[in-house]
Amino acid sequence: MIRFPVRFRVRQIGIDGNTMGNSRILLCEEPGEFLIGKSEDSDVPLTGDAVSRRHMSLVLTTEDVRVRDEGSTNGTYVNGTRVGEQVLELGDQVSIPGWLLELLAPAESEASQTRIAGVEVDASLVSRLVITDDTSPPPARRNFPEMEFADKDMVGIEALRASGHPVEEVKFCAVGGGLGSFVWVDHLRCYGIPASDIRAIGTEEVCYRTYQRYCKNSQIPDHERLRSNSLSRPDNIWGFPGYAMREVGKGIGVKGIFQVFGEPTLSESYTPRAGDVFESLDIEAKRIGWSDMLIKAQVLGLRKTSDGRYAVAYKLWGGEAHGEARNRYIVADVVHLSTGYPATRFVDDFQSFITSYPDSRAQVANAYEPHDQMYAEAERRNGPVQVVVRGRGIVASRIIQRLHEARAKNPQIRILHSMRSPIGPRDGAVFRKARRLVRNNVEIQPFNWPKSCWGGDLRVEYENAGEEERGVMLNQLGGTTTAERSDWIAIAERGSEEGWYRPVYGNISNLKPLPSPGPDQPDGVQVSISTTEGNEEVLNADYLIDCTGLIADIRRSPFLADLLDTYKLPRNHAYRPTDSGPQKGGPTGLRCTNDFEIEGLRNSNGRVYAAGTITTGGPYLAVDSFLGLQYSAIRSVDHLVTENIHKVPNLGPLRSFRGWTKWMTGRQP
Amino acid sequence: MIPTLAGRLQTRLLLFIFVGIPVTLAFVFILAGWKWDYDIAMPFLLFLATITGLGLLLDPVYIFLQTTRWDRDWPFAYQFFFSWVEFGVVFALARTGLIPWLPVAVEGQQPPLVDFSSNAAIGLATLHFTLVFIPTFLALLGPLQTIFVRWRFKGGQLGKL
Ligand SMILES: Cc1cc2nc3c(=O)[nH]c(=O)nc-3n(C[C@H](O)[C@H](O)[C@H](O)COP(=O)(O)OP(=O)(O)OC[C@H]3O[C@@H](n4cnc5c(N)ncnc54)[C@H](O)[C@@H]3O)c2cc1C
Repeated sequence: MIRFPVRFRVRQIGIDGNTMGNSRILLCEEPGEFLIGKSEDSDVPLTGDAVSRRHMSLVLTTEDVRVRDEGSTNGTYVNGTRVGEQVLELGDQVSIPGWLLELLAPAESEASQTRIAGVEVDASLVSRLVITDDTSPPPARRNFPEMEFADKDMVGIEALRASGHPVEEVKFCAVGGGLGSFVWVDHLRCYGIPASDIRAIGTEEVCYRTYQRYCKNSQIPDHERLRSNSLSRPDNIWGFPGYAMREVGKGIGVKGIFQVFGEPTLSESYTPRAGDVFESLDIEAKRIGWSDMLIKAQVLGLRKTSDGRYAVAYKLWGGEAHGEARNRYIVADVVHLSTGYPATRFVDDFQSFITSYPDSRAQVANAYEPHDQMYAEAERRNGPVQVVVRGRGIVASRIIQRLHEARAKNPQIRILHSMRSPIGPRDGAVFRKARRLVRNNVEIQPFNWPKSCWGGDLRVEYENAGEEERGVMLNQLGGTTTAERSDWIAIAERGSEEGWYRPVYGNISNLKPLPSPGPDQPDGVQVSISTTEGNEEVLNADYLIDCTGLIADIRRSPFLADLLDTYKLPRNHAYRPTDSGPQKGGPTGLRCTNDFEIEGLRNSNGRVYAAGTITTGGPYLAVDSFLGLQYSAIRSVDHLVTENIHKVPNLGPLRSFRGWTKWMTGRQP
Repeated sequence: MIPTLAGRLQTRLLLFIFVGIPVTLAFVFILAGWKWDYDIAMPFLLFLATITGLGLLLDPVYIFLQTTRWDRDWPFAYQFFFSWVEFGVVFALARTGLIPWLPVAVEGQQPPLVDFSSNAAIGLATLHFTLVFIPTFLALLGPLQTIFVRWRFKGGQLGKL
């Protein structure tokens, strides 16, 4: 149940990423839809060049609070992830260019409605809302595609046609349009399927845009190196020549080749630069005709059709079409789902902090959401700045590197690295005869899984294992690790010696805002830690950057939630090790076969496959990686070949080699 | 590619047949003065086959070593190193005459055309193995994937996943 008035805190964001001016509060007193945009007749007019005339709507019902993008040019984001329509939770941050809206907890009393953390704020926005006299709740359902889809698990093509929405028929349809979709489509094209038989539907023009955004937020700009193998090339289904060789060709140097030769034992593992990966994807996109296949749209739903295919309902984003004309259907024989991370969810204590203390929101950030302003402010400050970095994974390493760079501008920046417990050299994870390396209290591994999970004996063993055994292996082999990089090791060592880096061990027991010590002094955040020795250590910090990761809850994608409910699709499960054997934990990804088919969606000749993080806990450990996306693509496309229903030709040695020479010479497949 | 046992065995045989044998034949053809000489070809072919055979025997050992590594992988540098170890072992044994099918000179008998115990054999055998090793090793670095797209996911095995 939603308590009205629903409160949003609204802040303006400057070009430098900092908040400008005072917070304002937006009170929505009744259920309804409120349009936000530049147009004068918006319910909440907001200014700015990059704001569209009809940018987004807040959709409030008694059940939930949602945000819906109205086909804006520059997008609507929830906690840093671009969304179409998204249910909000308390503390979620909705951003559009130049503005930040944050869903606040309901006010305790009427008098405190316009207060945030006890301070009265400007509530002038409330007067701009058009509040209807109509007391009946607004229709909770959209007309599209509910008219055709609601309460049905099978639709007829005739009914779709009769709806008046455009209906296009195509053989293969990839939903998501991100890296997973791209890799799958690339395989289809290289196996010999013409571009005219394929459509990819996604919210971004460029397949790596979402990925690039995550990288940028977690402080991996284009010139930085990723955590990926030389031969893991999402733009090349053969993986040869690798990125290391490409660098030699570009005159960057031959160091990479020697790294590849000795890695990971005799040299640090080679990894490509983000920018090189993007550039090579651009080239491949051109070669296979990605832009001809791409429909820039948001997918709203999927249903089986009575003739053994699938109806995919989508809403065009941006572009020429307006209103109802944006709502369309595609009918496809084979569908591939790769929708990536659903809108992000944060760890509980972090989530409850931002809910309870919205005023201190600028003092804390999850590493995957935009938080560049923290570095900018810290660099500008003429005095000491303390930053607590929480977590010990690769993202924490990178954030610490970024803070180290910021120290060049403000040498008074100090880093407090909060980790749950110290890890000694002999405390690394154990899998049978092997033990993971530990360095500076962090477990070291070149990639996010042991290498043989991609194609060695662990891949085979995991695939053949039963559900419970898989759960156990996932636990033993997973876990938080970082890569061995001499610059990162040097930062920790130099910083400890010089006193600007300090690890702190223990569980964070409390997060509290720290009021500003005086005028012109910024707020802070107080981090209490129950240390491993049993003491309470209180850190008074300026910022907290949480690097404990993203929680990919697939139900937070309305599209997937609808699929799960309509077809009662089974999910994979986590398993917790206990003394009495593994115990079943919460649900994880979509259940799929070893060929990545979602069996629950099979529809006579119709097939649906999936890839990426939405298949976590399934037949392969490293699903959320470039090479993992290629693995699932080759499995699913080979499955189509074997079944021989959809006329996908096999890629045997001769055709494969011919395809590769075309790739090398830049000719179309 | 992170090899599995079946993958190691298959890839080793594949490279022996499609790289090792043709390169050896070309090598002896030139060595014999651009003509076919069975008596020169046979010792070199048998020599290479012996190295391959030893490799097949050692593969389970390598796999065992892999299981003691956290990543269960096999760095290219190890591949490089152990290839030369295999060569060294077979060559050393051949020189002492312990491998009956690899000819060495025996006192009082007519010396064989290829004598593994002679000084000349050191250079020749090393040259021969280098010529086979280079393309074999390079093929493992990726080019095989252009023909067998699934090879790298199958730990070096051929065929479908
Ligand atoms: C910070 C970070 C760094 C990483 N680094 C590496 C690395 O170095 N090496 C590596 O191998 N892997 C890496 N990964 C993992 C992985 O390769 C990427 O996450 C990859 O982008 C996953 O591809 P995807 O298709 O699953 O998701 P995405 O690339 O995110 O694509 C999904 C797309 O689907 C869209 N979408 C979602 N719902 C809908 C809908 N209803 N309708 C239309 N479109 C929709 C989204 O907007 C998005 O654009 C990294 C991941 C992160 C987060």
